[in-house]
Parts: sequence; structure tokens; C-alpha cells
Amino acid sequence: MNNRFPPMQHRSMRAAEMRLGRRRLLARIGAVALLVSAPGLFGRSEALGAAAADPETFVTEVGDQVLTILDDASLDDAGKIAHLKTLLDEYADLDLLAKLILGRHWRTATADQRDAYVDAFRQLVMTTMADRLHQYGGQTFEVVGSQTINDRDSIVKSKIVQPSGAPPIAVDWRLRKSDTGYAIIDVIAEGVSLVVSQRSEVNDIVAKQGMDGLIRTMRDRVSKRDAIELPTDKAG
Amino acid sequence: MSKPAAEHLRPPDRRWTRLFVARPAAVLVLAACLWAGHARAQEIYDPIEPVNRAIFAFNQVVDGLILDPAQQIYGYVVPEPAKRGVRNFLSNLAAPIIFVNDLLQGERERAGVTLGRFMINTTLGLGGIFDFASIVGMEPGHDEDFGQTLAVYGVSSGPFIMLPILGPSGLRDVTGTVVDAFVFNPWPYYVDDEVTLGVRIVDGVDTRYRIDPVLDDLEANSLDLYAAIRSGYLQRREADIRNGASPAGSSAYEDIFDQDFDDEQPLPSDAAPVDAGG
Repeated sequence: MNNRFPPMQHRSMRAAEMRLGRRRLLARIGAVALLVSAPGLFGRSEALGAAAADPETFVTEVGDQVLTILDDASLDDAGKIAHLKTLLDEYADLDLLAKLILGRHWRTATADQRDAYVDAFRQLVMTTMADRLHQYGGQTFEVVGSQTINDRDSIVKSKIVQPSGAPPIAVDWRLRKSDTGYAIIDVIAEGVSLVVSQRSEVNDIVAKQGMDGLIRTMRDRVSKRDAIELPTDKAG
Repeated sequence: MSKPAAEHLRPPDRRWTRLFVARPAAVLVLAACLWAGHARAQEIYDPIEPVNRAIFAFNQVVDGLILDPAQQIYGYVVPEPAKRGVRNFLSNLAAPIIFVNDLLQGERERAGVTLGRFMINTTLGLGGIFDFASIVGMEPGHDEDFGQTLAVYGVSSGPFIMLPILGPSGLRDVTGTVVDAFVFNPWPYYVDDEVTLGVRIVDGVDTRYRIDPVLDDLEANSLDLYAAIRSGYLQRREADIRNGASPAGSSAYEDIFDQDFDDEQPLPSDAAPVDAGG
């Protein structure tokens, strides 16, 4: 009799809000996480990895290095990106992350496809990192604990502290220990894992367009974003 | 005025509710239970993906025409303290539903937090506008819903569903949403429909405002926006079900990192079945 709006909509909006509300900050964490993670992400960093006595120290040191660059007022955006890329080049081994994201499709890829994919992935990480630089807004982070998963992997828990006083964001770092030291192999922001998310996208594209379609899509994305966002990069 | 007092406390359209809500809800609960035995969240289960993608495309259009402009105006016009008040108020309205689900999950301590916060914020927080409970040092609030309760009972997320306007969900969570809205939500019993409608519209705009940075980032950086939103939604749900704990240790997550790539020789380039489709 009354013209009722289905309450379901209300509740659903609420649910979505609660769910996504916390995720709201994910974009900014995305920024921080990617930035903080990118250089240390994948570590092969003899100096850094070997120097860190334990996973918590490793994450703290990586984070401090990145924040130093981000907070450096003498650097403009291009300068910061260049520094972060240098860090990434110096310390990173993106291979494992690329493989983890490709998952079972790695097995069925040819040698050429593997090389092309890893190369495209590497460029995409760089592009994304540069894009997210603008989302950084004075956040700091503190390590709050760690947990051993098995004999090679461990999780370091941290909190990204918001300068606005908004609730801190929980970011977990998954580290793998190797002969050369620790390497970060996943970032989990408020329960959302970088590797899981990327796997899901990559899986979908490979299923529909094949491995070559995936590589094409990644390359397109890189060239499109470089053209729009980083004209200076192209020029240089 | 002529209405007897008791009638006032009843939902205005009970028959409608029973016919169109209770019955479908029961069917949905049953259907959701059928998925209970399935392995949980190993792979994304999206059997009606073409339909979902079509709805997603529709949602994108609606968003561009209505929701996005509305949230931009809201963000620009409403001052920050007022936005906080809106959020506090909306969170407080959800407390009774959260409380019931805390209890159904056997979380007595969390139920106590929800109840305590609700009582303090409704009174001293002036109807929930101020989060007075947090000011005096109470534990921050948390979210619960019947979808999470079903998950705690062992019901898996079921097929992924993209709802028109409302966005990502799943069979279990749609079921939970219906039960929360029609069984656990007390407010339709007490306020006029116009008020409820107004609150819902504000809620929708505020929600869209809050997720805007995430959407922007996903749009800019995802290879496939639909897949990115689907994965993010499902992971957030799993995190909510674990009450915020890390996915580390769960078999679906750990399996990813068990793969050993060193032993895997590449296929010879003339035998790549994956790329047959091109």
C-alpha cells in the first residue's frame, strides 16, 4: 500500500559502505604500498637484504629509504620517480612476483612469452608506481609485529598512519628469505593482497585472449599511461 | 491519528513483505546452503559472468550520469565535520543489525562492544551524529552482516553476482542482505517511508563518495576493471569474515606461494595451447 523503497537497497548500500569504506583508503595505501614495496619488493638487494637481521628490520629499513625519498622537498615528482626507479632497478628482482601473478599459466608459456611477459610486467610496475606517486600525502608507517609462515616465508605487519588522524591502515608484507637476504613478495592492504588481485585479472585475460593477448594488454596499458601521464619520460 | 497504536509498530505492508520477501529469502537461504559444501574461495566462481559484465557496463553508465556527479557535489558542498557526522549517524543506524549478527556468530564480546557503542552514541552522541563512544576510549566499531554470519556457519560465497546500481555481491551475500534488511533491521517499524528513503539516498551518495579514490585508482591501474573489482570485493569479504585477520595461512592463499617455478621448463614455441584462441 505504501510506496516503499525496497529496504534491501538501504542495507546493501550500508554493507557496501562498511565493506568498501575501509577500502576507501586502499587507493592511498595502494600508493604507499606500491611505492614502499616497489623498491624493496623483490629484493635481491645484497646490501639491504643481507644487512637486515630479521624480517621486521628489513621492512623498516626499506620503508625508511622510500619515505626519505618521498619526503625529500628538494626533489620534484620526476626526480622522486627517477630515484624510486633507481632503487627498484638496483634492488629489485621482479621475476618472482611476475611468476607468482601468472601462476599456472607460467607452466604453459613458451620461453619467448615468458620473457615478453616479465618485461611487460616490469614496465607496468614502473608506470603504476609513477602514477601512484601523486597519491602520497604524508603518511608514515610503523612495523607492529611479524609471524613466521614456513621455513622460507614470513609476514611483517605494519600500520600506515594517516596524517589526517583517520584510522590507520593495516598493511602486511610477505617476505621470502633466500641466500641473498629477504625479499618482499606480496603486500596485503586491509586484507586485499596485491598478488591475489593481480592474479585474478591476469587469469581472466589469459583465459579469454591467451598469453599473447595478456602481453599485448599490458604493453598497451604502459604506452597509454606513459603517453598521458609522463610526457617528460618519453622526451627524456 | 485514527490508527490504533499497535498498528503503528507493525511494518506498514506486512503482506507484501511476507509474499515478496520472506519467501524469496527462504529460497535464497536454501540455495546458499547448497553451496555450503563447496571448497571456499579457491578460485573465483562467476558462472554468469557475461550477464554480470553487462550489468557492470550498465552500472558504469548510471554512475557517470548520476552517482559520480552526486558524490562530487556532496564532497564539495558538505564540510568535512558534517560528513563525519553523516557517517557516524549511518554507522549507528546499522548497530542493531550488527548486534544480532555478533550474537548469531557467538561473538559475545563484540556484541557487547556494539551494544555499548550504540547506547552511548544514540544518547550522548546525539542520535549517533557524534562517535562519543570512541571519544571516551571505547573499542572502535566493527561491521557484521548476515552474509558473514552464513560464512561463519560454513556457507561459501556462491556464484558472484553484479547487482544493478548496488554493485558487487554474491549469492550468499545477497541472501544476507535480504535477511538483514527485512528481518533484522528495526527501523522500518518506527519511521516513515519518506525518512527511510531519504536516509538511503544520503547513504548511497556517501558510500559512493567514500569509495571514489579506490575506484579512480582501479580505473587507472587495472588491466580489467571488472575483474579487479570482483577480486577486491571477494577479498574484502573474506577479510571481514575473518574479522580483519590476514589471509596468510589460509590454503587458497598459501597455495599461490607454494608453486615452485624453478622446475618448470617452458613449452616449445610450436606447442602453446593456451594461445590457440589468440
